[in-house]
Amino acid sequence: MPSDQPRGPLAGLRVLEISGLLGEYAGKLLADHGADVVLVEPPTGAPRRSLGPFLDDQPGQENSLSFAYYNTNKRSVTLDLTQEQDRAHFRRLAADTDVVLDGTGDVGHLDRLGLGHDVLAADNPKLVTTVVTPFGADGPYADYESTDLVLMAMGGLLSLGGYADGIPVRAGGDQAWLAAGQFAAVGTMIAALQADATGQGQVVDVSAQEAVVMAHENAVQFYDLEHVVKHRNGGQARQAAVGVYPCQDGHVYLLAKGLGVFWDELVSWLESEHVEGASSLRDPKWKDDDFAASEPGKAEFLEIFSRLALNRTKAQLYEAAKRVRLPLCPINTAADLVASPQLAARDYFTDVEHPASGRTLRMPGAPFKLTGSPIAPPRPAPRLGEHTAAVLDTLTSTGAQ
Amino acid sequence: MAGLPLTGIRVTDFTWLGAGPYTTRTLADHGAEVIRIESAKRMDRLRILPPFRDGKRAGSVNRSGYFADRNSNKLGVTVNIKDPAGVDLVLKLIAQSDVVTSNFTPGTLTNLGLGYDRAREVRPDVVFLEMGMQGAYGPDASLVGYGQTVSAVTGLYHLSGLPGEVPVGTGTNYPDHIAAPAHSAFAVLTALWHRRRTGEGQYIDLSQAETMVSLLGPAVLDHTVNGRDPGPRGNRAEYAAPQGVYPCAGDDRWIAISVVTDEQWTRLTDELGVPELAARYPDLAARHAAHDTLDAELALLTGAQEPFELMRRLQKRGVPAAVVHTFGDLVDSDPQLRHRGHFAVLDHPEMGPSVYNAPPYRLRGVAGGDVGAIMRRPAPLLGEHTREVCSRLLGLDDASIDELTEQGVLA
Repeated sequence: MPSDQPRGPLAGLRVLEISGLLGEYAGKLLADHGADVVLVEPPTGAPRRSLGPFLDDQPGQENSLSFAYYNTNKRSVTLDLTQEQDRAHFRRLAADTDVVLDGTGDVGHLDRLGLGHDVLAADNPKLVTTVVTPFGADGPYADYESTDLVLMAMGGLLSLGGYADGIPVRAGGDQAWLAAGQFAAVGTMIAALQADATGQGQVVDVSAQEAVVMAHENAVQFYDLEHVVKHRNGGQARQAAVGVYPCQDGHVYLLAKGLGVFWDELVSWLESEHVEGASSLRDPKWKDDDFAASEPGKAEFLEIFSRLALNRTKAQLYEAAKRVRLPLCPINTAADLVASPQLAARDYFTDVEHPASGRTLRMPGAPFKLTGSPIAPPRPAPRLGEHTAAVLDTLTSTGAQ
Repeated sequence: MAGLPLTGIRVTDFTWLGAGPYTTRTLADHGAEVIRIESAKRMDRLRILPPFRDGKRAGSVNRSGYFADRNSNKLGVTVNIKDPAGVDLVLKLIAQSDVVTSNFTPGTLTNLGLGYDRAREVRPDVVFLEMGMQGAYGPDASLVGYGQTVSAVTGLYHLSGLPGEVPVGTGTNYPDHIAAPAHSAFAVLTALWHRRRTGEGQYIDLSQAETMVSLLGPAVLDHTVNGRDPGPRGNRAEYAAPQGVYPCAGDDRWIAISVVTDEQWTRLTDELGVPELAARYPDLAARHAAHDTLDAELALLTGAQEPFELMRRLQKRGVPAAVVHTFGDLVDSDPQLRHRGHFAVLDHPEMGPSVYNAPPYRLRGVAGGDVGAIMRRPAPLLGEHTREVCSRLLGLDDASIDELTEQGVLA
């Protein structure tokens, strides 16, 4: 029966996550939406515990802020899977779970431990085993070494990022690992729904390289259909009124041509602000994309727009753009996000206790709102091994050792 | 299509442009019957954006590869939802649907008489997803936006680039391709799970911007807890040094190298013939401190090397390294993607055999994990399935369909 307490849509789904950088966001999505996610950590702790940023810049197993973020609502069990007894514990936990999520990125390591899907599924045919690896479970590059940057390169997105005349530059914030994690969560849910309906589990074999390829936009089809290899073109306007423009306290992104056809709204706004030269933008030449994309066209527009933009903050420009319904957004920093009236109105950020320090950590909350199955206020990420005794006790109380 | 995980799930799909169709594609690929609702009067604008087969739009709305890759395995129906008769037909479809999806500005469907409240009158357990740029409510909810402006407003743009330079972003509408569609698909799947347990549908209010901010959690925490703006860091990261992109022989060819452990550093410097660097910069802290110097040294050493050969050599020594692959490299010759079957070729009536992404994961229980079981049908022509869907699901006979077409309701 539905309870009055918010539990999230996945209440009752049981997940055993082996800690690793490729799977942690998938585990977070599942845990934050109500699944019971048990994080299996080695005695030395999840790799994320040694990555920053750290509380007050002090490294330490309970001080990683990124660990605190990626592991909300999870429980931690310390198991040394090199030891026979702990492998037996793992196998018994896996017999009574819906999903095993291996986020280590280490191809075949569960098989080598005698804990591969076929072994686990022998005791639990409904089991979904999601294995997230850099390049997939097999293939000529399966054993290649990688980091987020290497995956960005192997997935092609790095070829599109960066300044037109400079080196390729990756997206901020380890987005390749996160792409793998997001698609791992999607694939896991698809398989879990099927297992729920049919009683038959399966392996979900996630490739981080392929997850990055998904971000190509249309570059694959440009090559396939038009034999055009797309290259990076950042750091400059694509055409007049499309791109990054400096303002008084930073930058804004303006998109008034191309996908959006907002040129007239833009010109009317600049005229209403009495910007010198604004009316010259009514010349029909600006509707010609070839002119608008030319260096003289881009320079002429920049000069006119800067007369306004350099005297306004990004917040002021954003407010004005909203009034005239123009796609212009501030290039926000984290500080801007935390101060955003929009995010505040939606209670986006959430405050999570940090028991090790007694502090409260403000972090992004739910990425979407499920109005019929709202999620519970987040529990803090676990301390290393915090729930080992409690979880292993359930094994001894539910069956013979 | 028996055996696909989402067989039996029907989706009335109002999504268009970038983020929405990639969401519903995930559902369609895995067996859901996704029925795209379009109108010739207000069709998906991606249909007329490049690339086109042979570079020619040729007056057609069915030749865009940008559109095609986002719409595999879907059905295409044209209905004018600004006509009350069209609204009635769509409501009949919703009554038989498990899921309704839209990335119109929130409120648009309600104004057309197709909002959640109306939908659940005809289908009480419907899962109804609206994925506005900034969500369904709040002072900025009605602002129009695209992937690039979402990148800006969420902080992704600010964090991507070289320190002290103009922020550069990803060169794409990144949130449209990963953040928004992956979270949206996950949201719908969790709501279907909840419906299995409770029999209840629900309304999902997803802000595309919020899904992207959720991928920048550590940067947010660095600000809220430590009061620091990490800012853009180029290709560097705390956990690796040196880490960067270095030039190779050839036109605009580069290799990404990432040194995480001291052992990798020893092997890299040995392979490049500069073992003295290993002794001089023995640990991560020393390599971070000298990062600019090391970048310059590495660039000199890589600059004349053939990139793929260098990648193979370094990987053989266990050093994380990768050619910065172009999408030409990936489509033509990447042995890994080929082995995995990542690029599927589907024969489209106007475009001919064309390349599509397969999903980035294999479900090993679905026909042995065969991509062919997932990638079945190319993107629909505009209105390709109008007659079939109206006949099968709405019970209309040919004469009625002809009449409604003539009246502009089914157009």
